[in-house]
Amino acid sequence: MNQFQYVRPSKPKAAIDARAKDQNSQFIAGGTNLLDLMKRGVMNPERLIDISRLPLDKLERENNTFRIGSMALNATVADDKQVLEKLPLLAQALNAGASAQLRNMATIGGNMLQRTRCPYFYDTALPCNKREPGSGCGALEGYNRMHAIFGFSDKCIAVHPSDMSVALVALDATVLVSGPKGDRRIPFGELHRLPGDMPQKDTTLEPGELITAVEVPEGPFTKNVHYLKVRERASYAFALVSVAAALQLENNIIKDARLAMGGVAHKPWRLTEAEKSLVGKPATEATFQAAAAIAMQGAKAFKHNAYKLKLGPNAIVQALKNATNVA
Amino acid sequence: MADSTPDSKPENPECGHNATRRQFLKQSSVLTALAFTPGPVVQAAAAEWDEKIAAPFEKVGLKLAVNGKNYKLSVEPRVTLLDLLREQLHLTGTKKGCDYGQCGACTVHVDGKRVNSCLALAVMQDGREITTIEGLAKGDDLHPMQEAFIKHDGFQCGYCTPGQIMSAVACIREGKADSEGEIREFMSGNICRCGAYPNIVAAIQEVKTGGQKV
Amino acid sequence: MNEQPLFKDGVVGDRMNRVDGRLKVTGAAQYSAEYQLPGLVHGFLVGSTIAKGRIKSIDTKAAERAPGVLAVITHVNSIKVPGFANRSQPDEPPTAGQPLRVFHDEKILFNDQPIAIVVADTLERARYAAGLVKTQYEADQHATNFNAHMDRAKVPAQAKKNPKSPQADHDRGQVDGYKTAPVKLEMEYVIPTEMHNPMELQSIIAHWEAPDKLTVYDKVQAVKGTQRAFAKDWGIPEQNVKVIATFVGGAFGNGLHNWPHETAAIIAAKTVNRPVKLVLTREQMFTMVGYRPYTWQRIGIGATPDGKLVGITHEATGQTSTYEDFTESTVQQTRMMYQSPNISTRYRILPLDISTPIWMRGPGEATGAFALESAMDELAHALNLDPMEFRLRNYTDTDPDNGKPWSTKYLKECYQMGAERIGWKNRQMQPGTNKQGDWLVGYGMGVGTFGANRGSAKAGARMLANGTVVLQSATTDIGPGTGTVMVQLAADALGMPPEKVRFELGNSLFPDAPSQGGSATVNTVGSAVVAACAALKEKLYQLAGSTFSAAKPADIVIKGTQLSLANNASAKVAYADLIKQNNGQEVAVVTESKPGNERQKYSMYSFSVHFVEVHVHQLTGEVRVKKMVACADAGTIVNHKTAGNQMLGGAVGGIGMALTEGAMIDDRFGRYVTKDLADYHVPVHADAPAIEVAFVDKPDLIVDPMGTKGIGEIAIIGAAPAIANAVFNATGKRIRELPITPDKLI
Repeated sequence: MNQFQYVRPSKPKAAIDARAKDQNSQFIAGGTNLLDLMKRGVMNPERLIDISRLPLDKLERENNTFRIGSMALNATVADDKQVLEKLPLLAQALNAGASAQLRNMATIGGNMLQRTRCPYFYDTALPCNKREPGSGCGALEGYNRMHAIFGFSDKCIAVHPSDMSVALVALDATVLVSGPKGDRRIPFGELHRLPGDMPQKDTTLEPGELITAVEVPEGPFTKNVHYLKVRERASYAFALVSVAAALQLENNIIKDARLAMGGVAHKPWRLTEAEKSLVGKPATEATFQAAAAIAMQGAKAFKHNAYKLKLGPNAIVQALKNATNVA
Repeated sequence: MADSTPDSKPENPECGHNATRRQFLKQSSVLTALAFTPGPVVQAAAAEWDEKIAAPFEKVGLKLAVNGKNYKLSVEPRVTLLDLLREQLHLTGTKKGCDYGQCGACTVHVDGKRVNSCLALAVMQDGREITTIEGLAKGDDLHPMQEAFIKHDGFQCGYCTPGQIMSAVACIREGKADSEGEIREFMSGNICRCGAYPNIVAAIQEVKTGGQKV
Repeated sequence: MNEQPLFKDGVVGDRMNRVDGRLKVTGAAQYSAEYQLPGLVHGFLVGSTIAKGRIKSIDTKAAERAPGVLAVITHVNSIKVPGFANRSQPDEPPTAGQPLRVFHDEKILFNDQPIAIVVADTLERARYAAGLVKTQYEADQHATNFNAHMDRAKVPAQAKKNPKSPQADHDRGQVDGYKTAPVKLEMEYVIPTEMHNPMELQSIIAHWEAPDKLTVYDKVQAVKGTQRAFAKDWGIPEQNVKVIATFVGGAFGNGLHNWPHETAAIIAAKTVNRPVKLVLTREQMFTMVGYRPYTWQRIGIGATPDGKLVGITHEATGQTSTYEDFTESTVQQTRMMYQSPNISTRYRILPLDISTPIWMRGPGEATGAFALESAMDELAHALNLDPMEFRLRNYTDTDPDNGKPWSTKYLKECYQMGAERIGWKNRQMQPGTNKQGDWLVGYGMGVGTFGANRGSAKAGARMLANGTVVLQSATTDIGPGTGTVMVQLAADALGMPPEKVRFELGNSLFPDAPSQGGSATVNTVGSAVVAACAALKEKLYQLAGSTFSAAKPADIVIKGTQLSLANNASAKVAYADLIKQNNGQEVAVVTESKPGNERQKYSMYSFSVHFVEVHVHQLTGEVRVKKMVACADAGTIVNHKTAGNQMLGGAVGGIGMALTEGAMIDDRFGRYVTKDLADYHVPVHADAPAIEVAFVDKPDLIVDPMGTKGIGEIAIIGAAPAIANAVFNATGKRIRELPITPDKLI
């Protein structure tokens, strides 16, 4: 790890100024991903701006909207009584991620800004366009078991690793951002981007922009929800495929639906067409299977991840079954 | 405390002043950050801390309470809490198993919360209270969790054990130890390659149901 | 043969707490990297980024100029290790060939081979400067893909020389006799490369106390073997090399070889003339300290319709490096596990441009058992027989490989205990028919065996003036509880409470003992400890002279600092007086204990059976082991608490082997792409179910006087195929390539 300068501003404005002034700086909050990457020489910022103590850790609720400060800890949010009651899908997704210790460190803002876990990105001796633009994508013809089946490019086939983000995109969250040019709101689905020709850029944030909070509307999804994470061991592993499912039921007829997948794309993957197909239908396995088939349209696999073409729809069906207790 | 690397020695508040060090800090470019940061770098200079050894200017001041003992330290910002504990304070009970937050051997409590000390920069813990495995027992009286680990043989090689115990205590305090299944899920951040998991779960259950204060 | 166990009414067998438990739960136990030495500095290794070729140039200037750096050592400037010049082709265990000579020349033999060590005053500075070393290579075409290079597989050198070598081709009866059977199957099985991944990173502190006097605090399983290796390397007397390994944070076999990083640290310490601490990174644990080799196996197996085996042919090819011939006993148990008139075994090794493997828990037997025990299950299914019944029909009461009687074999008892505990009667003969909600339920079993290979060892015993007896032996304790069971054995041998007995290990200056490996520590070192205790009593008896002359040494009772006789309490003597008799010295002995000729007459093995219940999710393919029962015939159980724990650990290791573990190489680069604990999945708490352990606990007094046989290996051997067989029973899907991840089941 390189030597770096460390500063700890007390106000968001000062943090944003510091970041804007220095191209080689990074914000650090929980540090659970950044330090990991710095130890391996994948990221080498010359200045760290410690934002962990900024007064951005509040969890507020008004006008049927949760406003969760970006510095709130994953564990705090996952254990919050109101979140458990009104946004159980978010709580489930948070608890599916990492370990109890990491959830005590990682912040909500940091969680959404996790970098990919692609092994080529992590090893500076291997090619990776995300880490070193122009060096090539090691995964494209390499070990691509964990990689994308949607929205990839020939420059990058990595996936976004956050579980929380899958729930947030399903729940129509909005990201609140402050930057050198002022504040703005980003619909959660537009925070992360597809790799295209610039895989080095994970998000649509502008230089110096700081996520201050995420807003989540309460919505009707308090009961029939499930976050399903399929992984290679029973806990503490990144997803092969994950599914966030939320339904509003009336007499077993689906009134409204939210569906998103993780582990399949460079961003949390919202399945709007599949959602539409669910609405108005009875909550049955047949309905779920039809939606899963729609969800998988356009999916394309590589040498080692073809299983996702089958695991994906299966996981969607199972998540919907779990959400509705359909046997 | 035997320390072989003088310039990383925890400073003793009783020691004499060192003008060079303060001067160094004041002149350093770090102060350009003053406009927007009252961070520990600047605090250190302003507070005119006592220092025994002239440290290179890259180091920053840091106050920590570890197991109830107050430390005034000066560390490079890149030093993790884990490496500070092990290499500078010689509190080697906290273990390095992966250094990437993937095994839990380095688990300590920071202000009462269990965290992976390998992914925590020491400077970011300024002003906080750290509890390590060395601080869990009250003198010769072991913590109930330590007793239970011995009784149920919740370890073999013993290397993951401090992390398991720190995590187990927190697991109960968090209210995540109500069933075997819950314990297994909320202890999954602590890997035991010897595979003593069933015994660890038994130890936690005993403490949880034993009613002792944890 | 003595029918009675050596100990009755003592603490042997008790669920005694570990003697070092308190140190381990308080963080006070010191592992290799945790010794504080004056002037200690830190090393950090730089690894190659190609798999084969030569270093063209290596630029260390920036690293040398970095703050705090004391030295940057490469093949260009390294001091020469005297032993490297004449250490060619040692042809001795654990491997034949030429162990990597670190910093010796410009050759690159595997990816991430250590090519430089940076020494600095702090860990952070050493690590940073290591990143500044820039290397130019001349790369050769490497070969890391096992399947693509199967044609390079060869007979191990030792088997070529000696047709009786256990690695040599072997035929009993007709070659490929299984082909004549009315019911026959042929299958191929693959296990991937698996990593030991102990929780403690491999660590060493190397300290030259004088130019010819070396002390290392080193994570090894053999302190004496390490002492001999380094003495040879540096051309100094053995007694000048002190190896300390008081606590070892797991090893599972990877401490059975001395690795390049150890010598790198020793070179560095000599160069900077200060103690150097070197701790590998988790990635380096994948490339520098061995692994269970990728192994391909083929089994041909045939039986009569009523379930009598006709023949088994077992072929195995395991990966090794290009510079060492690593071999293990992958096909051995096929020769002795079941009654079969025809057996053929073939064992080959395949050299690839990867570092050298090393035995990993249950070594080749665990690999071989995956094939053999899966094949037995497959054939039982083909015969429409219960797999346990099929095994019982081919049970052997003598060793079919050599005709010798077993020293003891209580495998049938294991079958019975296990079947009862797992609820074997709930197993459906027809796979895929037992459902619970979305989950398919299956039951499986697998058998394991490992030689009870008692060796020679020495132990010392000293009675302190305060009446405490201190025993010493240069064994190690990588986790099984060696120190604890030695105290139990000694306490009973001396007739003293365990609190008055201490056992010290992990120091090469102690009396000679072999490595902790091959499940042989208790039967080997325990025998020496028991012998030392007897010798100590003998010496006390002699010193006591006429006081005890009417009795035997064994009748001496030690109470505090008073000695008396069991059958005559009035005959007593103060230990202080015996010290006077002994020229003022505390009474001390060193004894050696060796096996006799029992191996000529008997076949000696431990046996285990694993039974499992698995649930497999129909849609997601996730496998959850719901219950496991591990039964063992391991002779006398000295401590049910620690022995039971070893069985739990082996079972959990089996879950990893079966379901989650496998290290992947990108063959284009010859470099691992799964090399940390996030990408290489060892089981976590949530993977481990309730596990029940059952021991037969009957002594084998042929193996050793205590009746022990060994546990460490059989704890895992057979566990992985038990799970694979249960997955088949649940789903009807036979997975012959581990690990059984969800993608293989959907």
